[in-house]
Parts: sequence; C-alpha cells; structure tokens
Amino acid sequence: MITTITIFFPLVGVFLMLLMRTADERTTRYTALGVAGVPLLLVLYVYFAHGGDLGNALLTQGFDWVPSLGIGYRVGLDGLGFGMFFLSALLTLIAVVASWDVRENLRQYYAILFVAELGMLGVFAAQDLILFYVFFEVTLIPMYLLVGIWGDENRRPAAIKFFIYTFFGSTVMLAGFLALGILSGPNFSIEELNGGSGLSRAAQIAVAAPILFGLLIKVPAVPFHSWLLDVYISSPISTNVVLSGILPKLGTYGLIKIAIPLLPQGAEPFLPYLAAFGVVNIIYGAFVAFMQPDLKALVAYSSIGTLGFILLGIASGNAVGINGAVMQQVTHGLYSALLFILVGVIASRAGTRRIGELGGLADRMPWAGGLLALGAFAAMGVPGLAVFISEFMTIMGGYDAFPVLGVLAAAGIVLGAMYLLNMLRRVIFGPTERPALVEAGDAGPVEMAAIVPLAALLVVLGIFPSLLTNVQRPAVDLVLAAVGGS
Amino acid sequence: MVTAQTFVGLLPEIVAFLFSMLVLMVGVFNPRAIGLTTGLAAFGALATFVVTVVLLAVRFEGSFFGDGYVVDDFALYFKLIVALSAFFTVLAAARWSGETGDAPEYLTLILSVAVGAMLLVSMRDLFGVFVAIELATIPSYALVAFDRSRRESAEGGMKYLLTGMIAASILLYGIVLIYGAAGSANFAQISLAFTGDLASSPVALLGLVLLVSGFAFKVSAAPFHFWTPDAYQGAPTSAAAFLSVAPKAATFAVLLRIFLEGMPEAAPSWTAVAAVLAIVTMFVGNLFALRQRNVRRMLAYSSVAHSGYILAAFAALQGAGVERGVQAVLIYSAAYAVMNLGAFFVIDLVGEEAKSYNGLFRTRPGVALSMAIFMAALVGIPPLSGFWGKLWVILAGVESGSVLVYVTVGVLVVNSVLSVPYYFGILRNMAFEEPVKGAEEPKGAGALKFSVYTLALATTLFAFFVGPLAALAGASGLL
Repeated sequence: MITTITIFFPLVGVFLMLLMRTADERTTRYTALGVAGVPLLLVLYVYFAHGGDLGNALLTQGFDWVPSLGIGYRVGLDGLGFGMFFLSALLTLIAVVASWDVRENLRQYYAILFVAELGMLGVFAAQDLILFYVFFEVTLIPMYLLVGIWGDENRRPAAIKFFIYTFFGSTVMLAGFLALGILSGPNFSIEELNGGSGLSRAAQIAVAAPILFGLLIKVPAVPFHSWLLDVYISSPISTNVVLSGILPKLGTYGLIKIAIPLLPQGAEPFLPYLAAFGVVNIIYGAFVAFMQPDLKALVAYSSIGTLGFILLGIASGNAVGINGAVMQQVTHGLYSALLFILVGVIASRAGTRRIGELGGLADRMPWAGGLLALGAFAAMGVPGLAVFISEFMTIMGGYDAFPVLGVLAAAGIVLGAMYLLNMLRRVIFGPTERPALVEAGDAGPVEMAAIVPLAALLVVLGIFPSLLTNVQRPAVDLVLAAVGGS
Repeated sequence: MVTAQTFVGLLPEIVAFLFSMLVLMVGVFNPRAIGLTTGLAAFGALATFVVTVVLLAVRFEGSFFGDGYVVDDFALYFKLIVALSAFFTVLAAARWSGETGDAPEYLTLILSVAVGAMLLVSMRDLFGVFVAIELATIPSYALVAFDRSRRESAEGGMKYLLTGMIAASILLYGIVLIYGAAGSANFAQISLAFTGDLASSPVALLGLVLLVSGFAFKVSAAPFHFWTPDAYQGAPTSAAAFLSVAPKAATFAVLLRIFLEGMPEAAPSWTAVAAVLAIVTMFVGNLFALRQRNVRRMLAYSSVAHSGYILAAFAALQGAGVERGVQAVLIYSAAYAVMNLGAFFVIDLVGEEAKSYNGLFRTRPGVALSMAIFMAALVGIPPLSGFWGKLWVILAGVESGSVLVYVTVGVLVVNSVLSVPYYFGILRNMAFEEPVKGAEEPKGAGALKFSVYTLALATTLFAFFVGPLAALAGASGLL
C-alpha cells in the first residue's frame, strides 16, 4: 500500500496546483515543495525499514486488471528499482527547488512536473509489463509540455522530436512486451516471467529484439541519440534535472529489469552488441563533448558518454558489472543533475554558456565554480566520488566479459578527463573579461539548496557505496540466478 | 412467429423509434420549445440505453423472424455504444440545432440513424443488413446537408448522397450474387456455400468482393474513403461526430458477424483482404490528415485512419487470434466512441480552424485539458481509451500467427507514430501559442460542455472498463 501511495501522491500536488488559482508565487513554490517532499520521506522510510531485504519485490500490491489476459496492477519495490525510485523522488524535489528560472504559469509547471513524477515513480515500482509500459508513457506528454512551453527559443521542434523518437521506441518495445506476454500464458507479471518462462531460444530472441531496440532509443544509445541533445539544450534547468537524471534510466532500467532476466537466452546473443553500443557511447560522447563550445551541450554529451558505462555493465552479465550498472544509474543522475543546475546558475550570471566567453569563476563565484569542479571530477570518475565506484565496477565487469571493450571503456575515462579538465581550465581559471560576470555574485541560498544535496550525496556515496549496493545486491543476485539458471 | 419475446428483443429499437416520433410531434406543435425537444430526445436515447443494459443484465437471447434477426450479447453491446453516442450527440447538438430553428427535425434524424444502426447489429440476413444500412444512411444524408448557413454542408451532403448511392448498389449487387451462389441470404445458410476453395465458385467470390467494397465505402476504408472528408467537413459538428462513431461501429459489427457466421471457411480470403485494406487505409488516413489545417477535416481523415486500425483487427481473425480479434473490435469501437465524439464536440466549443485553439490552456483550461486528453487518446497514449483499443488489436495480431498480420500490426505501430504530429499540432497550439484575441466562451453551451467533460472523464478512466468489457466480449454470442 505504501508503494501505491508513494506513486500516486504527486496527484495531490496536481490537484492542489490546479485549485490554488489565487495563490501568490511564494505560496505556490512552498506548496509544491511540500508535496514533492512527501514521496521522498516515504521512500526514506522504506529504506530504513526494509532497505536490507529488497530482493524479491517487497511492499507489493496487486489486483487483476484484465484477468483473461493476466494483466494486473502489480507494484512493489525491489533493489533493482529502489535506487531510481529514490532518485525520482529526490530529483523532483530538487527540480522544484531549481525552478527559479520558471516565472510564468508556475502552477501549471508544477502540476505537469508532478504528473511526470507519478510516471517515473510508477516505472520503477511496476511489476507488470503492461503497467510498466503505461507508466513509461505517462512521463512522455509532461516532458513534451515542460520543454515545449518553458524551454528556450528552439523548444518546439526539440519537444516534438523528443516525443516522436521516444514514442516510436516505446511502441516497438510494447510490441515486444505483448509478444512476450502472449507467448507465455498470457501472463504479464514480471515476477512470474522471470527466467524466460519456458520460451524457446528462438522465440526469446524474436521477442528480445524489439524490446532491446525500443529501450536503446530511450537510453539513448548513440545512433539514436539525436533527440536528446536538442531537448537537453532547450529545456529549463529544473526540467533538465529530471530529464537527464531519470528519463534515460527508464531505458537502462528496462534492460536490467525486463530484457535480461525475463529473456535470458533471447538477450544473450545481443549482449556483445549492447556492450559495443555502450563503448561507442563512451568514446563518441567524449569526442563530441570535447568539441562543444557550449557548456550545456558539453554536459549533455558527457551525460550520453557516461550512460555508456551502464550499457557496458548490463551487457557484462556478471555480478560486478550489473551491480555497477544499477549503481551508475543513480550516480549518473546525481552528477548530471548537479552539472545542469550549475550550468544554469553560471549562465544566469554570465549571460552566456559559451565556454570561450567564460572564465575566472574561481574568483567571481567560488562556490559555484568549486562545485562545478566537484561535479566535473565526479563525471571523470575521480576516486572518492560515487561515480568512480560504479564506473569502475562496470569496467571490471565489462573487461571480464569483453576484454577489448573493457579496455576501450577505460580509455574513455581518460578521454572524459581530457575534455572535462580542459573545460575546467577555461571556465574556472583564466581571466574573466565578461562585465556581467564581474558584477555577478555567487550562487544564492536557493541555488545552493538545490546543489548541495546532490554534491553531498556524490561524496557520501563515494565513501560509503554500501549504502546503495547493499540495497541492490539481493535483487541483482536474483537477476544473475535468472540468467544463469536458464 | 411474432411473440411477446420478439417485442422484448426489439425493445431498444422500439423505444428509440417512439421517442424519435415523439420529438417530431412535439416539434410540430411547439416549434420553439428547444429545451423540451432536446430533453425528450436525450431522455429517449438514455431510455434506449437503459433498456439495452437491462436486456444485457438478464442475459436476454433469442433469434426472431426466421433466424433473420438475432439478439445476443454481441448485438446488445453495440446497441449500447449506439444509444450512448446518440445520448451525448443530442446533448451536444442542443445549442446548435436550437439556433437553426429546426431542432426537432435534426434530433429526430439522429435518433433515426440510431434506430437503423441498432437494427443493423442484430441482422443475420443479408437483405436485412441492406435494409438496416440504408435505414441508418438515408437520414444521415439529410444530417450532413442540414446546415443551410454553410455552402459546404449542401456540397458535402450531395457528395455523400451520390457516393452513398453507388456504394449501396455495389453492396446490393454483392448481396444478390452471394444469394445466388448460396441459395439463401441467411448467414447460416451462406456458410455452406463459402467453403475454403473460393476459386471454384467465381460467383461467390465476386459477391464477396462487391460486398467488401460496399462495406469499405460505408466504413470509409481507403480507397473508398473520398466522401468522408467532404461530408464530415460539411456536416454540422454533432452530426459528423455521430456518423463517425455510431453507424460505423454498427457496420463493423455486422461485417464481423457476416464474416464469422456467414463465411468462416473463407477466412483466409477475407482476412487477407482486410489486411490489405487496413494497411492502405491507415497510411492514407494518416498521411492526408498530416496536411490538414482544418480541425474538422483533420478529424475526418483521422477517422479514416482509425477505420484502418479496426480493419487490422479483422485481419487478425484467424488462428488463435479470433477471440482476441472480436474483443479488439468491441473494445476499439467503445474506446473510439468516447474519444472521437469528444474531440468533435470540442470543435463546436472552440472552432474548426487550428488557429482558434491557440493559447486555449490559458484562456479555457477545462476545454483545453479535455481536448488534450482526446488528442492523446487518439494517438494511443496510455492509459487513455485509444491505447486499449490499439493494445487489443496488436494482441490479436500477435496471437493470429500470420505473417501478413504481423506486417499489418507493424504498419499500425508505424502509423501510430505517424499520427503524432497532427494530433499534437492541436496540443501545441493550445499549450505553446499566444491566445487569439476576441475568442469568447459560447453562451448556452452547458449541455455541450457536460458532454465534453463526461467523455473526457470516460476517456481517461477507460482502463477501469477494459477488464469488464473484455469479459463481456469473451462471452459474446459470436464465439
């Protein structure tokens, strides 16, 4: 029941926002903050009460939806999704805090954001294929509207491109889900289908192909990534937080939660390609990021690059790699949200995002500059920060399964360090010639409130990764059992 | 033999017919009493609905008039859709028809179409099918041409009449040929003539081809769809809405009955024809809809595309996909009824030019939200109604086990994506553009707004009806 309440609590926010017609801006912001805080508190309660035994789904709730088809409303929390479930709640809260650049139609903005939160929370708790798909798509229209209404001047083409790309991907994925559910029953319960449910190898391959294809568009793996850049660059800061922190993980989570354990033999022949996609993401992302003159585009490509580690970890099919991938989903969300917020803060002060025109942040904005360095170090995978651990695990796992690709991925870390250090050199140090920047102050208290929790979590999880890995390990073991036992 | 049972079986039609006459009579004596006529017509539609629900609840079944007319769950289900569509249409038509001064005639025509459509779904005899189709179609010619204030209305009505007559003769010719080949027009008897080997019986084959062509006209399947955009654009909005939903659902229903009861042996032939028609229809509907700036015309092409989606379910009526295919037609028809009626009705509230939707989220959030729900549902975004229709079609396709159907389902997936830009064009205008100056809330549109909001709610909560609907469909008389 607590799972259902957490998922649907954002609806309270939607109704409040629609009803509070006369509320002033301040009241609106605080109300939104309060609503966004509740799911996070509920998630934290679950963490402290049940964090240790999230192997099979806990706190489940289920009733039949369409009995003749084995479709049901089934939700529950397990270690695979819990990290992202937590992050969805956290990043929605951060997005509410970081919504200072949204000035018009604030109530509508929050209402739509809460609908998106509902979808995201639902995906990471769904234990039924159809329900998973429904929640998956519930995020789509809110994101389209958030970018399309509150984005920058290029927002409309970006928003519709995002929508068409990902809708196409998810519809193909749905066809795969339907084939899987029909061939095995019909039954759409993720838990009961674990391990492939007796489908022949050929059938599994035929079903896995559309599912993997659809999910790779969502991630996005590199040939399908063109929607991502436009929409990242055009969206307002607080939408970026959710867009980069959560949405790609709908794709990677689908791989870990559904494609691999439900279709172990079907996914197996595709795993080397999946790993290759991952390494292409890493290397391509690094090279293109290196050439970006725009700070936001650089962060976007960096984000594409580090998503590659998740793909590599998933494809490795071993305990280290998958654990690393599950953890990287969370750490990637933390650092990319952090960087996008900082880019927004810096751009608002300097009046530009062009790296060539920025400089001397260490003098002018020591806090923002310092935290930008922290975020960049995290993105590079510097030890002591959380991303290092998850990236290292995915490379270890990847090296075990595909030595060449593992080495290439490790080389990708060096490339990442190159462009990020280069960016830091130019943005943080060096003289500033921008008059706007000379006048501007450092990040204010509201901005720090959005930034600091993310930075703190990156540090804490870097030192105590077991806070996260302990939760996910039992569930990852079950995935491995499903893969190995087939 | 006509017994009391017969009257009970015909009760929905009788109720609807009596009320249509009553509305006409009241109109003769009180031509200004718009509220009274509308109220009577709406009450009549609702009474029809309730009677049908009761028949369904007591599981009334029977076949009358020498097995030419059957009442089973399948027929009753479609009568529900027709009656409910008529109810909402009457409410939505209240204001506009009142302004024309001919409300009683207009509302009577709507109820007459409903009577024809309800008779149609029960027919088990090809000549009965023809009579019922024409009973539903002839009033609809008048409905399309009803708006005397616009030239397009007369033009659309004329086009509809001419093509409709041609379609009727083709259909009748097909029926006669099948009658000649089978020696009977009753579905049960026909099935004896339609064996697996159609090539040996060219008369039956030609009859089937003409029959399907005639039906393709009626459900506006490409390439027989040319009347649709003109007729729907010309017709009064409520008439276009009703015609795109109720008679069409009934026509699909009786086609399903003809195929499954009358020619089950010939399934390989007609599923293949349905697959090809579906593929062409989906592409034609969506590609032409993409180019439209007029919302009414866009929705007309969209209705062509949706006919294609339903035809894809017909293609899946083979192998293990038969049961799911029948369910798909049932669920899709209901899902389409709520979302498409709503989308059309919004035109009467806002306007038919895409421009008039600009900034609607700011000026009239309730209407805008409803329209957004209808548009998203027509695309097939879960958990809205259209998604469940498409889901069932895909499920049936997957179960059918035929490569051609897999291709059809693939085309359906591609077309769903293809349809995003034009439905979302409206959403974009409503959410992203600046509001137009001087656009005002129409006065006296309470009933219309009630219809729109109720349908938006039904579209949103359709997921809760899917389970019961699937169970009902599973138990329908056809299987």
